[in-house]
Amino acid sequence: MEIRVNAKGLQCPGPLLQLSNAVKSAQAGDRVLIEVSDFGFKKDIDKWCKKTGNTLISLDEKDSILSAVVEVVRKA
Amino acid sequence: MMRILVIGGVAAGTKAAAKLRRELPSSVITVVTSDRHVSYAGCGLPYFIGGIIKEERELVVKAPRLFKEENGIEILTLHQAVRIEPEAKKVEVIDLEKQVHKVFDYDLLVISTGASPFVPRMEGIDLDGIQVLRTIDDAREIRDRVDQNAARQALVVGGGFIGLEVAENLVHRGIPTTLVEFQPQILPGYDLEMALIAENHLVEKGLRLIKNRKVVAFEGDPLGKVQNAKLDGGEVLAADLAVWATGVRPNVELARSCGIVIGPTGAIQVDERMETNIPGIFAVGDCAENQHLLLDRPVWFPMGSTANKAGRIVGINASGGSKRMPGLLGTNIVKLFDLNAARTGLSTREALEAGFDIETVLVPANDKAHYYPGYRNVNTKLIADRKTHRVLGGQIIGEGVVDKPIDILVTAISFGATVEDLTTLDLAYAPPFSMAMSSLITAANVLENKLTGKVQGILPTELFERMEGGEDFQIVDLRSEPEFIIGTIEGALHIPLTELSSRIGELDPARETVLLCKYGKRSYLGARELTHAGFEKVEILEGGLLLYPYETV
Ligand SMILES: Cc1cc2nc3c(=O)[nH]c(=O)nc-3n(C[C@H](O)[C@H](O)[C@H](O)COP(=O)(O)OP(=O)(O)OC[C@H]3O[C@@H](n4cnc5c(N)ncnc54)[C@H](O)[C@@H]3O)c2cc1C
Repeated sequence: MEIRVNAKGLQCPGPLLQLSNAVKSAQAGDRVLIEVSDFGFKKDIDKWCKKTGNTLISLDEKDSILSAVVEVVRKA
Repeated sequence: MMRILVIGGVAAGTKAAAKLRRELPSSVITVVTSDRHVSYAGCGLPYFIGGIIKEERELVVKAPRLFKEENGIEILTLHQAVRIEPEAKKVEVIDLEKQVHKVFDYDLLVISTGASPFVPRMEGIDLDGIQVLRTIDDAREIRDRVDQNAARQALVVGGGFIGLEVAENLVHRGIPTTLVEFQPQILPGYDLEMALIAENHLVEKGLRLIKNRKVVAFEGDPLGKVQNAKLDGGEVLAADLAVWATGVRPNVELARSCGIVIGPTGAIQVDERMETNIPGIFAVGDCAENQHLLLDRPVWFPMGSTANKAGRIVGINASGGSKRMPGLLGTNIVKLFDLNAARTGLSTREALEAGFDIETVLVPANDKAHYYPGYRNVNTKLIADRKTHRVLGGQIIGEGVVDKPIDILVTAISFGATVEDLTTLDLAYAPPFSMAMSSLITAANVLENKLTGKVQGILPTELFERMEGGEDFQIVDLRSEPEFIIGTIEGALHIPLTELSSRIGELDPARETVLLCKYGKRSYLGARELTHAGFEKVEILEGGLLLYPYETV
């Protein structure tokens, strides 16, 4: 399953909370696609995935929007 | 007819000459300069090495031929002035190409001999591949090595803005680069916690940074090409290109030897009109001193910004005017990869050394409205006099726009603004440009809160040092669960702000308590709550975890 989260316009900690909630409600193997306009998220998501054991599949930047794809490895 | 001679033809000299021409249309103006190039943008040299500026000619503001045709100014390149005779009003000049001596008579003399890189004598310093960066030829030399793949490992010595800009451009060209700085921080004139933000960014971008070390010698191969640098700790660094950038010294010997007074900074002493102790002889640019706007003493800030402004002032004054150069604030700005850094006025250390009782603040914010895509973080440090609340200095670092707020700050400090004045400035706002509460106003607001005792703060550097020294703190992380997971300060207790009142019993009101969150906003709210509840000493971690430059767990 792919879960899409629009966290544009949200400032820290909004995007991270949204990601965390989405991952919590997902199953292992699901993918969460999140779009964020807060660039502080770049470092946060990397660290968060490492600490929680989820996989950061991609992190792209286009037109000042970050899109990240996280694969749920285990429930965070 | 009035004869004007200008010695040195880069920024200050050509500016003064051009202004003199406009003020005194019928004078004869001659510029002698020892370099091959005149009127070039020294500030652009690092970007020429990086290939961002493609061709040499783009760096030259104006060629000698055009000075002649458009301004009627004679520029003699490869002409070095060797002696000034103030009584006879003569200058002896060597034509370096033809190796002949020439004598020039003058009615007015402008000395704009600039500054030169300072390189201490040491073993191996003359080896091939060790460079300074001051002139177009220097830049060409470095760029050629890079273009010809002759630089596989680079070393930059010195973490001032020139060293940093060179290092950035070498990394940009794909060359593994190490920067050695002998102080405990890069970016002199910036406070430690600000410099650490820049250091972490540079390291993230691939620069290898070594601090607290001096380069003491170089070793070469049998062909005389540099191979290694030796550090004072005994370490050996491989390098086939080394750029020495530990600072510049004013070129004052010519002036000194004819009786012109050299000031306490080592540069030529001038009055407010930029005239030396010898009437009719002016000095300007990197070779001359200036007054500090806030301190009652001369300073030496060798900057292109000053050279240009002061050059024009000399042009006015040498032609009989009386325009003052009131003083400088040591403003500068630098781009380091994705980070921008700017400073003005007094740093914390400079303010303390000058005897001020100060209050400071460090506040993260954004450069534009948070709902407008493309906004970036900017972090503002302000330094103010505790008694008068006058703003004394500031530093701004971030990926966002820093030039605007620093220039506002320069303006405010120049006109004697207080912290309260800053908080109410009618600044321009629309989402694509700024925040409704601009980063500078937000910082001033927090500083006002600190000055009036509403909140106390602790800098990350102070917290770190005191913890290292074994001092006891009760550190409370007020962020949400997912943020806490990312990492926090070792030993921090996790109590989200929303749970603080219900869990206040877990905390000891007698211990020194430091609150932290990502930016400082939640800490501020928490601090109000704990102080209200009777906690003895509550501080917020200034800059939050965002600007905490050390390891987290
Ligand atoms: C890599 C680099 C980056 C920089 N970046 C910035 C920046 O971003 N912002 C900023 O504000 N400043 C910057 N600067 C500083 C700026 O370039 C200088 O402040 C500026 O060039 C000073 O101009 P000047 O005319 O006083 O002196 P100089 O540029 O030093 O020119 C003096 C000239 O006089 C000549 N001369 C000396 N002695 C004699 C003599 N006896 N006879 C004849 N000629 C003589 C010299 O050969 C030289 O050509 C940078 C400098 C460098 C090297």
